[in-house]
Amino acid sequence: MKSGPPKNLVTIKGTKDGLTIMMDDRCSFEDLKTELQEKIEKDKQTFGHGPEVEVTVDTGYRFAGAKEREEITNLLKEAESIRIKEFRSEVISREEAERLREEGSLTSITRIVRSGQVISVRGDVLLLGDVNPGGAVEATGNVYILGTLKGTARAGLEGNTEAVVCASVMEPTQISVSDVMFYAPDRYEKKQQQGPMFDEPVFAYIEAPDNQISFEKTRLLTQFQNKL
Amino acid sequence: MGEAIVITSGKGGVGKTTTSANIGTALALQGKHICLIDTDIGLRNLDVVMGLENRIIYDLVDAAEGRCRVQQALIRDKRFDCLHLLPAAQTKDKSALNPEQMKQIVEELKPDYDYIIIDCPAGIEQGYKNAVSGADQAVVVTTPDTSAVRDADRIIGLLEQEPTGSPKLVINRVRSHMSNRGEMLDVDDVVSTLAVDLLGIIVDDEEVIKAGHQGEPIAMNPKSRASIGYRNIARRILGESVPLMAIDEKKGFFAKLKGMLGLKA
Repeated sequence: MKSGPPKNLVTIKGTKDGLTIMMDDRCSFEDLKTELQEKIEKDKQTFGHGPEVEVTVDTGYRFAGAKEREEITNLLKEAESIRIKEFRSEVISREEAERLREEGSLTSITRIVRSGQVISVRGDVLLLGDVNPGGAVEATGNVYILGTLKGTARAGLEGNTEAVVCASVMEPTQISVSDVMFYAPDRYEKKQQQGPMFDEPVFAYIEAPDNQISFEKTRLLTQFQNKL
Repeated sequence: MGEAIVITSGKGGVGKTTTSANIGTALALQGKHICLIDTDIGLRNLDVVMGLENRIIYDLVDAAEGRCRVQQALIRDKRFDCLHLLPAAQTKDKSALNPEQMKQIVEELKPDYDYIIIDCPAGIEQGYKNAVSGADQAVVVTTPDTSAVRDADRIIGLLEQEPTGSPKLVINRVRSHMSNRGEMLDVDDVVSTLAVDLLGIIVDDEEVIKAGHQGEPIAMNPKSRASIGYRNIARRILGESVPLMAIDEKKGFFAKLKGMLGLKA
């Protein structure tokens, strides 16, 4: 940034995604607010009383926390026909970065999950071992089990409806993806039905039209994920 | 210096006490010095199974609280001089003992015996915690019932976090004709679900009930198939490698003949 009298701390640009309000990231936040207010008052005519305009607020390398965002939002409310589509920033807090890293990571665990034990993981989980009846594996992302799933598996714990539960041998008591549940058919109805439900590895997912858990062969998982 | 083995199961009624009595007796038959400890305070049974109930003067809680020395509470078995029982109290409950006291008693007994067999009460609460606290090794008893296997799985999970480490498994009351027909889990199903070492299997045998009724452990009867199962377990504990006994009952003459003729046996 050039030294001298501050000017153009706030730039309003039209892009193909709509209007973007670019904010200087070197000056003080107070200066920024002052200038934004001036701009809004001056440009009130520009924004006019036409149809509502969606804007993106880009704070560059300035970290805009909840408080700052609220202040900007309040200022922009003055210009009636503006609606904030999103805040964009080149920086995020460490906390959020940790969370994102966890969400995207795969945790690998080698053990048998026995009755009464629960494994809970952020992101995806790969379990090398069995989940016995009464045991549970849960993840905010996908659940992959290299072994037999006889207990409970919960994928997409915080609402990810695209998550899957994948197991080498699928004999679950219960599966859930996001908030859609699947209960195994009752045991021992017929002697013939006692074997595994599937004779090859399968994954469980939410089938779109009826919003139910369905099973599909694991080798078709790529197709499922491409479709999304 | 002896080794303390806790016999546990989670579920009640699968044969912990019978197994404790018989493993103890079978080890005593091998000339080992054995102390059985009943930790099922309030619901003691081991003394009854061993036929020693009318000799009890002091018990585990008395010893723990210092009303007597541990040696005074021990009862010598009628059959073996090398087999002793430390009975549980019948008038108290599980909270009368804590894991520290239990540990202390076991440590005190260890130098005098080859093995200390601790009979654990059902459940995973105070009584279980007491019983496990003094043990170096654990044996989990289960039957081939879905509910018993579920509880065994739970208890194995808990034991894996204890110093005893992963327990060994005894499958009790195996009925080969039912599992062959698919009406019951078979030994392989149980072992593959629980994924721990199999210490032995005991076939379902009415002789065991009779023996319990008489207060004479079945391991004393050399003809019973259950007794052979217990004796094999004792030999495996002593480090011998003994193959698993065939669980199919011996076929009678007519059944064999029918089999030969290709009729349904």
